[in-house]
Amino acid sequence: MDFTFSLASFLSFLVAVALAPLFMGVILKVKAFFAGKQGPPWLIKYYTLIKLLRKGSVYSTSTTFVFKLGPIVSFVTALMLLLFFPFAGLPPVLSFHGDVVILFYLLGLGRFFTVLAALDTASPFEGMGAAREVFFSALAEATIFVIIALFFRLSGSLSFAEYFTGVHAVNLWSESAALIFLVLIALFIVLLTENSRVPVDDPATHLELTMIHEVMILDHSGPDLALIEMGAFFKMLFYSSFVSCLLFPFHTGTPLFNVIIFYIIMTLVYATVGLIESITARYKMDMVPNFILTSFALVFFAIILTMEFVQ
Amino acid sequence: MNTFFIALLFIGIGGLQTLITYRFYSVMKTVAVTAIITGCALGTYDAVMRIFQHSDPLVFSYQWLQIFSFSLKLDTVSAFFLVPVFAICAVAALYSYQYMHDAKRSAATANNYFFYSLLIISMALVVCADNLITFALAWEIMSISSFFLVIYDVHKKATRDAGYIYFIFTQAGALFIFAGFGFIYSQTGSFSFDAIATIPEYTKLVAFILILIGCGSKAGIMPLHIWLPYAHPAAPSHVSAVMSGVMIKMGIYGIVRFYLLMEPTSVLFGQIVISLGILSGILGVVYAIGKQDLKKMLAYSSVENIGIILLGIGVGMLGAASGNKTMAAFGFAGGLLHVFNHAIFKSLLFMGAGSVIHQTHTGASNELGGLMKTMPVTGRTMLIGSVSISGLPPFNGFISEFLIFYGAIHGLSLHGASFVFSALAVIALAVIGALAAAAFTKLIGVVFLGEPRSDKAANASEAGFFMGAALSILAASCLIIGVWPDYFVQAAFKASQAIPLVADFAPDSFMPIMTNIARTAALFLLFFVAVVLLRKILYAGKEITRSGTWGCGFTQPTVRMQYTATSYADSMVAFFRPFIQVQKKYSGIDKIFPGKTTYSSEIHDTSEIGLNRFIVRPIVYALSKLRWIQHGNIQLYIGYIVLTIVVMLIFI
Repeated sequence: MDFTFSLASFLSFLVAVALAPLFMGVILKVKAFFAGKQGPPWLIKYYTLIKLLRKGSVYSTSTTFVFKLGPIVSFVTALMLLLFFPFAGLPPVLSFHGDVVILFYLLGLGRFFTVLAALDTASPFEGMGAAREVFFSALAEATIFVIIALFFRLSGSLSFAEYFTGVHAVNLWSESAALIFLVLIALFIVLLTENSRVPVDDPATHLELTMIHEVMILDHSGPDLALIEMGAFFKMLFYSSFVSCLLFPFHTGTPLFNVIIFYIIMTLVYATVGLIESITARYKMDMVPNFILTSFALVFFAIILTMEFVQ
Repeated sequence: MNTFFIALLFIGIGGLQTLITYRFYSVMKTVAVTAIITGCALGTYDAVMRIFQHSDPLVFSYQWLQIFSFSLKLDTVSAFFLVPVFAICAVAALYSYQYMHDAKRSAATANNYFFYSLLIISMALVVCADNLITFALAWEIMSISSFFLVIYDVHKKATRDAGYIYFIFTQAGALFIFAGFGFIYSQTGSFSFDAIATIPEYTKLVAFILILIGCGSKAGIMPLHIWLPYAHPAAPSHVSAVMSGVMIKMGIYGIVRFYLLMEPTSVLFGQIVISLGILSGILGVVYAIGKQDLKKMLAYSSVENIGIILLGIGVGMLGAASGNKTMAAFGFAGGLLHVFNHAIFKSLLFMGAGSVIHQTHTGASNELGGLMKTMPVTGRTMLIGSVSISGLPPFNGFISEFLIFYGAIHGLSLHGASFVFSALAVIALAVIGALAAAAFTKLIGVVFLGEPRSDKAANASEAGFFMGAALSILAASCLIIGVWPDYFVQAAFKASQAIPLVADFAPDSFMPIMTNIARTAALFLLFFVAVVLLRKILYAGKEITRSGTWGCGFTQPTVRMQYTATSYADSMVAFFRPFIQVQKKYSGIDKIFPGKTTYSSEIHDTSEIGLNRFIVRPIVYALSKLRWIQHGNIQLYIGYIVLTIVVMLIFI
């Protein structure tokens, strides 16, 4: 395992962890702008986290230790993702050939325990959310692994560091740009699915029946809920960074300049999520599989194209 | 005398003595379990030593009646399959000590132990057989002894039916294998394994397909898997653990062994096996999601895992045929390691399900719930088994799936059809993994979490000490292999070196990446412990209240409102509708003041319906027209035999 003990890698990791809640504020601000409101303060998510961390918790009498495992596992798995990601083209803290596979499986582990925690409450609403979560994520998983296969075909690499910092970096400005364009759209759909955003899921809806992720964590409170929220912020940050790194090659030579461009692009990605949330409604539940399968069709098309056109 | 034979001797004595001592129930059970465990421990030790020390293969042969030469050869591949045979059977024997508790049925129990030891011995002989005759003999003993194990509860009609279906499948499968053997014999003129490599390529393909069908019906490849969901629920739980964990892998062994003997060069072999792997894997897991009976669901999950193993072996075959070393070595090693891993977690899950059924007297998950509180050991070990079988780190299922994945992804550098098959294997693995997580969150969530859905579940208590001990051993193995995979991965690669292409595949080519994987798993555990401690600090001195689950404004929730296994699976099953048939019965609401309404749904296996319609019914119809041949006159029957032989002699 490449363990980069450089200050830059650690700093970029810490900055990413620290900024994750701030970017969620961007989405809220964009939505507020479209609604003609002033919106909550930029630091709202930090305030929420501090508030939650100060509180105690209420546990349902139905629950067991599994209910408490859910927040811990989902937080740890999301945090581990960030350790392996090359933010702004800087080498990540950890990296090895094959790390993408174990990281996406770790995300699966986080989901496994979130779902179990939901089922542990004996609540019909949370069971409903859990069933939707596992179903939709199974479809998104197919897209993700086709993307991994495609990137291997294009660059022979199997780790995030190789994807974005190696000689054969994959991005919209490389020779296989046409394929990356398809990947970008697909990945954005996966981003919306995995992070429970509109049009797959609506985190702001008021009716539990129509939720997916939010309804699964209804019974969590206090620091447990804070862990879940932070895990969700990290996951969103990870997918947005993934999209950002595909959008722009961070090879300008000056790391500081790279970092600035990177976070500008990140802001745009989050703003796009907010924009979509402002101008579209959530799909009917039975439309969601079709929406996710669109992403699969796009990347599958891309990988078939590599057979003849791009070699 | 060799350790291997001493091990078999112990197991044999353990089984045989029950036929004499069955009047003394506890004595019989104790002696049988002790002897079987001792023999299995010796056998495991011997097999492990054989894998890691480069000793020459053990060769043994015995001529009987000048015709039947009984010969054995124990090489690395055999030794690799011997480890789960002995190890899992030992743990299952420990479990059976308390599971078999009906002193009134002591004769039946004695039979059970007799056939159990016979099954272990025959499985050990199947993987060591060194000619066609020995293989066929061991295979038949294995099939028949497992048939008697299935029909332990012979007084129940469901069990007799299940035994009947199993018997038909196992014998029809054996016929295909023997047809394949006959085909090989017609080309080589000998029963020896050595000559198989010399037959022409197209005959290899025909023989391989015949053996693939025969072994596939034992392994439970879709669509030949129909006996699994019948036989596993009917059999006692330690038997279903051994059958699903170990015996169906003998089918995989047959496929691997004959592939190795044939040394084919065509890519077609790999493509066929990958296709079957995708079919079994995806449909197996979809049915596992749909079924709500605990053991039926686990049976379908076995079909899924056989699919994963076939994917690995198929990727390996494709790699070997296209000269891609990484693909061949990782595919085979992953497939073989998954044989071992699946043996561990599937026997764990079957025995855990057995404990649940033993304590609650029902296997219907819609009647269970909340067992984590009343059965803590079973619940926790089943949780570990479920995470492992979903292929998630830091447990053992991930290690083998990762190897297969790594092999398949290196196939993407190939061209044409091989590329397409590698890509399909990658996608299938990802989808199977995600759907397996859905199936096993359902199992844990509905059976062990939430509130009990019936009195049977509410009044459950933990199973006996030995049953819990057996489960704990297996659960610990899942974690150990997940975090320290070095030796297990090395063993799998040593076994896969039987393929000529990768005979010199050095540990440097795979150990670095496995070390990284293991370190990542360890790092996860480290972070996990750190966050657990952090959480303790965050909660220090704070108020923790216990209250009811938030009902979203509804104040009178009942346990019947919980999501059931059926409702959890509904949308996923509907998505795969053409391949899976759901029959729903709903009485509906037709009055202003609705009366009692009923709803039921049942999932039918499409391959079962298809097999019934297109094969069973035509055969039964045709044979019913020939009923007049059966008249009960012995002298005419002898006439038939003579006539048949004469007719056959004309053709020869």
